[in-house]
Amino acid sequence: MATRTVPATDPASIEPAEAPGEDSQLLEPARAYPGALIVVEGIDGSGKSTQLYLLKRWLEIGGYRLHFTEWNSSPLVKSATRRGKQRRLLTPTTFSLLHAADFADRCERQILPLLHSGYLVLADRYIYTAFARDVARNCSPRWLRNLYRFAPIPDITFYFRAPLDVAVNRIMSGRPKLKHYEAGMDLNLSLDRAESFRIFQGRILAQYDEMIESDHFVVMDGTLPVNKLQKQMRQYVKSRIDLSRFAPKKAARRAR
Amino acid sequence: MSAAKNSRKKDRAGLGVAPAGSSSRNYGLPLPGLSGEEFGGSLIVIEGMDGSGRSTQISLLTEWLESEGFAVETMGLRRSGLVAKDIDALLAENTITRMTLTLMYATDFYDQLEHRIIPALRSDFVVLADRYFYTLIARAAVRGIERDYLHGLYEMALRPDLTFWLNVRPEAAFEREFRKSHAISYWESGRDLSLSDDLYKSFIMYQAKIKKEFEALAERQGFVSMDGEASVSAVNAELRKRIAAHLGIQRTHYRPSAALAQLWR
Repeated sequence: MATRTVPATDPASIEPAEAPGEDSQLLEPARAYPGALIVVEGIDGSGKSTQLYLLKRWLEIGGYRLHFTEWNSSPLVKSATRRGKQRRLLTPTTFSLLHAADFADRCERQILPLLHSGYLVLADRYIYTAFARDVARNCSPRWLRNLYRFAPIPDITFYFRAPLDVAVNRIMSGRPKLKHYEAGMDLNLSLDRAESFRIFQGRILAQYDEMIESDHFVVMDGTLPVNKLQKQMRQYVKSRIDLSRFAPKKAARRAR
Repeated sequence: MSAAKNSRKKDRAGLGVAPAGSSSRNYGLPLPGLSGEEFGGSLIVIEGMDGSGRSTQISLLTEWLESEGFAVETMGLRRSGLVAKDIDALLAENTITRMTLTLMYATDFYDQLEHRIIPALRSDFVVLADRYFYTLIARAAVRGIERDYLHGLYEMALRPDLTFWLNVRPEAAFEREFRKSHAISYWESGRDLSLSDDLYKSFIMYQAKIKKEFEALAERQGFVSMDGEASVSAVNAELRKRIAAHLGIQRTHYRPSAALAQLWR
């Protein structure tokens, strides 16, 4: 399958990247569930959360059946993660496993049941965050791919790509106090927290780039104006997913 | 759930990565930050279901080894500083799903491996493990998680120098457990699997499934299988003989101290 790269210059030219023919219709994935999963990925400061929020608002206002989920949001594992981070007990392996446990909880109790019941699920970060970040922490890619094998494959993965300096400057101006693990201080990259963060994010960026083809990322230019990017995103979603599946049921409304 | 089915036939508790008996100290992958490092010490694992006498034997072996001048460290399930309490809380709640539980136990295991076992081995300790990841694989496998997924999860674990499996019939284990605590827990009887409403039946059926997983593991991993229903002193004598041979201890005579005498029956 070809890479689904969205051209940065001309939003009008967006089209499904597969060769024309049987695959070029709306994506009706051969999945075991009627729902659909849209994911955004990218380094901190790439603009992905803003874009997913706007996509969510667009769909919410339209009345579509959707659920929004975030990386690292399950209350079940939160206390362990917080304790591990505060006391700096986490190694690359246990850091990775705790996040996987957290994701598994969300996956088994939210994402999969909702996909089975026909929801459009929007995820701010997904398993590719773990792949990029944990490989940057020297975990084995083979081990990680196995670890997350239970996760459903997204219908669309938007990869927001911004140059390292742009992304890092966005983060540093808004959130000057970087946390220990967030800055990759556990990797002894630099004694300076900001410098360590920059090196760590650079490693993560390189890992994301590695996955563009193998994981069929739709690459989005994170330096474009917000509204322009959002327009591209909405067009791409419409071209790939039959949104009428998630539309409010008119018949039910008329019956009232 | 995609990691659940498929490989039941092709991988019967198999390892798939490094063959048993390989000289490597891990199962195919080194832990991050540990590649190439050599260290001494010995890792000795005692496996067996609840009621098989594991903890009794570990107490006795610890005393014996210390009297022979060996420094001993122990590990077990749900004993990590990182997540042991969280797992306790999750188990009490009953809302936890099987993948999450599997991964929390894996976190608990690797935390102990990295913060307890490896530092102890570096200091030439004998580490006695009161169960190892084999139990975690067996428990998850009977709940339908793919075996090769589970073996992949523990690919960075250290390969024990010796693994003993105290083999008991589920019926005998039930009696021992019941005599000890006058109750059988929800998880020990595998109630989450809805095997039977009868607690006894559920316990027997669940432990029989676990035992079947262990039989396959024992063969692939070269466990020393022992009759866990024999007397404590007989099992202990056999364990001492095998461990003495591994550690080069000449004299295996041992009588428990007054503090442990009540375990000796």
